[in-house]
Amino acid sequence: MTAIARTGTGWRGLAALVCGALAAGGLTAAGVSALGPGAAEASSHREAPLISGQPQYDNTDVYAFVSPDKPDTTTLVANWIPFEEPAGGPNFYLYPEDARYDIHVDSDGDAQGDLIYRWTFDTKVKNKDTFLYNTDQVTSLDDPDLNITQTYDIDLLKLDDQKIVSTKKIADDLPVAPSNVGRASMPDYKKLRDQAVRQVSGGGTSYVGQADDPFFLDLRVFDLLYGGNLSEVGRDTLKGYNVNTVALQVPSADLRRSAKQPTVGIWSTTQRKNAQGDWTQVSRLGNPLVNEVVVPLRDKDRFNASSPWKDADFLTYVQRPELARLLEKIYGIKAADEPRKDLVSVFLTGVKGLNQPPGVRPAEALRLNTSVKPSADPKRLGVLDGDNAGFPNGRRLTDDVVDIELQAVAGELVGNKNDLGDAVNANDQAFGGTFPYLALPTAGSRGPLAGKGGQDGKDSASGSSARDALVGGSFERATPADGTDDAVLIGSAAAGAAGVLLVGLGLLWWRRRGRAT
Amino acid sequence: MSTARRAARTAGVVVALAAALTGGAIVLGGGAGAGRPPAVAGPAVPTVLPRDGDLDRGVAALRAHLRAQPKDFVSWATLGTAHVEQARTRGDPALYDAADRAIDRSLKLRPGNDAALAGRAAVAAARHDFHGALRHASAALAENPYNERALASRIDALVELGQYDAAARAADTADARRPGVPVFTRYAYVRELRGDVTTARRVLERALAGATAPGDVAYVSTALGQLAWRQGDYATALRRCGAALRADAAYLPALECRARARAARGDTAAAIADLRDVVARQPLPGPVLALGELYEARGERRRAREQYRLVDAWVALARAHGVDADLDTALAAADHGDGAAALRAARAEWARRRTVHTADALAWALHVNGHDEEALRYAHRATATGFDEATFLYHRGIIEHATGHTTAAERSLRAALRKNPGFSPLGAPAAREALREMGGGS
Repeated sequence: MTAIARTGTGWRGLAALVCGALAAGGLTAAGVSALGPGAAEASSHREAPLISGQPQYDNTDVYAFVSPDKPDTTTLVANWIPFEEPAGGPNFYLYPEDARYDIHVDSDGDAQGDLIYRWTFDTKVKNKDTFLYNTDQVTSLDDPDLNITQTYDIDLLKLDDQKIVSTKKIADDLPVAPSNVGRASMPDYKKLRDQAVRQVSGGGTSYVGQADDPFFLDLRVFDLLYGGNLSEVGRDTLKGYNVNTVALQVPSADLRRSAKQPTVGIWSTTQRKNAQGDWTQVSRLGNPLVNEVVVPLRDKDRFNASSPWKDADFLTYVQRPELARLLEKIYGIKAADEPRKDLVSVFLTGVKGLNQPPGVRPAEALRLNTSVKPSADPKRLGVLDGDNAGFPNGRRLTDDVVDIELQAVAGELVGNKNDLGDAVNANDQAFGGTFPYLALPTAGSRGPLAGKGGQDGKDSASGSSARDALVGGSFERATPADGTDDAVLIGSAAAGAAGVLLVGLGLLWWRRRGRAT
Repeated sequence: MSTARRAARTAGVVVALAAALTGGAIVLGGGAGAGRPPAVAGPAVPTVLPRDGDLDRGVAALRAHLRAQPKDFVSWATLGTAHVEQARTRGDPALYDAADRAIDRSLKLRPGNDAALAGRAAVAAARHDFHGALRHASAALAENPYNERALASRIDALVELGQYDAAARAADTADARRPGVPVFTRYAYVRELRGDVTTARRVLERALAGATAPGDVAYVSTALGQLAWRQGDYATALRRCGAALRADAAYLPALECRARARAARGDTAAAIADLRDVVARQPLPGPVLALGELYEARGERRRAREQYRLVDAWVALARAHGVDADLDTALAAADHGDGAAALRAARAEWARRRTVHTADALAWALHVNGHDEEALRYAHRATATGFDEATFLYHRGIIEHATGHTTAAERSLRAALRKNPGFSPLGAPAAREALREMGGGS
């Protein structure tokens, strides 16, 4: 169509002009322009974007587990920006400067945070005249060829009755590990990761940077929610995608009240600065998939904006889960009697005798009993398989939370034995044995100098010029090795504009943000 | 009037052409067997996608998903909204019908769901049914007070209905609930309409800092460029529009913004080249008129008239597609066509919505028809909110001059030229001429 228009510009006459424009889809309702003589350019009907991709405020997952190699410490991990394509240049994946990434710790079970670990970020661009992420091979974090560098602070806030009583900076201007641009640009990414693992004051260890997305599932499992079934699952649709992570390992004694009350509640929130200059909470996340699967559409956004203190508002969704009725319809697994006290334990209070603090106020948080020793042989189904060091006692990277939650909702804990699942049982990449445990990010494929058209493999042969690489419009989409399917495309923030747009649309309502639309 | 007859005949031809070209050009519905499955499964060779091809591909993927899971009411609502976004970036009103159908499906599956109601609001606003947009947005917000798109469409509707105080309150509420590019851009515009340029610029800069998608970068950069242009800061306007074009080379509003900045700096040839490019792709009245006036300023009368006739044709087409084009009619006809038609159209639009834009159009149409005393009332209304629009001040000044308010006229005309000395290739010289007549000089 546009081709017609382009040749059309050479035509003569009004009809041809209109015709060419029409061929390009030129008739629109958008063009109400206000002008008297000349062209006041003020369109009286501005059509601003409705859909916007802002994945840097989109928190995907939270993990909390007793460190397997250092059982007196607890590791906290939280991830942002789902579906990072390895070849996501030229700007790659920056941490936002107008956001706060918070992990809250409730050490007495009253649904109020007693500690907040707060990450904030700062960006430096060495050469503002180029859009390039790196200008040549990057072999260390302080390599001058890394054109865009980020640093972070961590503040530890102590609260009493929701008032901040003290703030301590435990990390100050530490380096963020960059996006893994590609082997040509970053021949030894592991070295960059290792350089980015830093000690923080008070005896903790920190890593901030890119990682392989540790979550594994077949997104088609969510077809259950609208009448599909599990007959076509079994492929990890997150394979080959990265996330931006923050990981922190701290002495467990710092988190808990006392050795006698070793269970803590953990959740993350994301705040961003609004137009009026106030911090606004745009995301909240504790247990995986709760907002996606348990909370109905109309309340998903409200859930993101609310605090655990008020989670009684959502209690009934846990007690009477729609998913259980759907499973009954599809699989004939009789839904357990409501109200579902078993699910209240899993999602809101912790399981009695395992990870339920005394006098707990029901609230959506990961509940980790820090005194349970790490398991030498972690079971993917965690507590359901007799491994009390796993979900729902905290959450380890290897815990198969999709299967655990499906089986729990279907009544596993109240005698409805079942083996529901999405047939994806492990991450495609192995996790490490030491902090930060996350797998290295999948490497992108950009050559060392995107600006010189130096590209290889997936990223070339598309007629994309060096200019494309420079203009921020990364039109080409690298295809993960095993091909892409609709589920991923629909969810893929990194598929460029559309992915971002569609994530902005909330197509990823099935993961974390649970944004309904 | 042979001109009018020729225009009418042209319009008839164009409508027929439009029907031929757009009717059925887009296969929609996506029912079983309608169209092949989209080519989204990964070929090993990536393809370079045209602008918003990614959105197109996302839509294709959504449709394929919906063929497999037709009960997914959220995805139906999402598809409807994606069609509205496509219509905005492509200027193809046929997509509104497609949006309607997808949203209908969603509501049939889950009556009253807020995603679909917000989609309804977006479609209504796009069709200039602002009362409907307000109603649907309110219904969506009753269901889900945090629905980002309903919050955004609510601001749009209130702005277009001229309810600026309510729009400002709605913008504050939206900002407190769902900060982000959609709300920031609207928040900034509401502030600008009230004369608070500083806040508008600050908020747009915040939006730009958080924007990652090329489409967002292009939109926000262009909004910053337009803001700078209205303040007469053409260097900044060019820089901002350049940034927008780097993010999305095919983003026409950025090209138009660049053209106006170039024209204001006296680089008429480059401005004409830009506008020809814009008009060839989307002959919207704004850029078409701007191009005509640039031709006219250069003394190319015949070419100018051709552009003015094209506006008439566009208006005829818009009407044929059920889009209300009274404001465009009024603005184009007042200066370049049939004054009586301009006044009819301006009055009709004023009856529908009382905004600074419709007040200005009515004032100018009244003036063109010799009703200067009545025009003055509306000229005052158009400039009452503090919105810095040089054209409104120029219209007001000329009307004040016509009614004998010489001191006020001088003040208004000087303000227009001080604000944005190159606001129009015809209007700016006319303002200077009027000042000279009044003995002020400029």
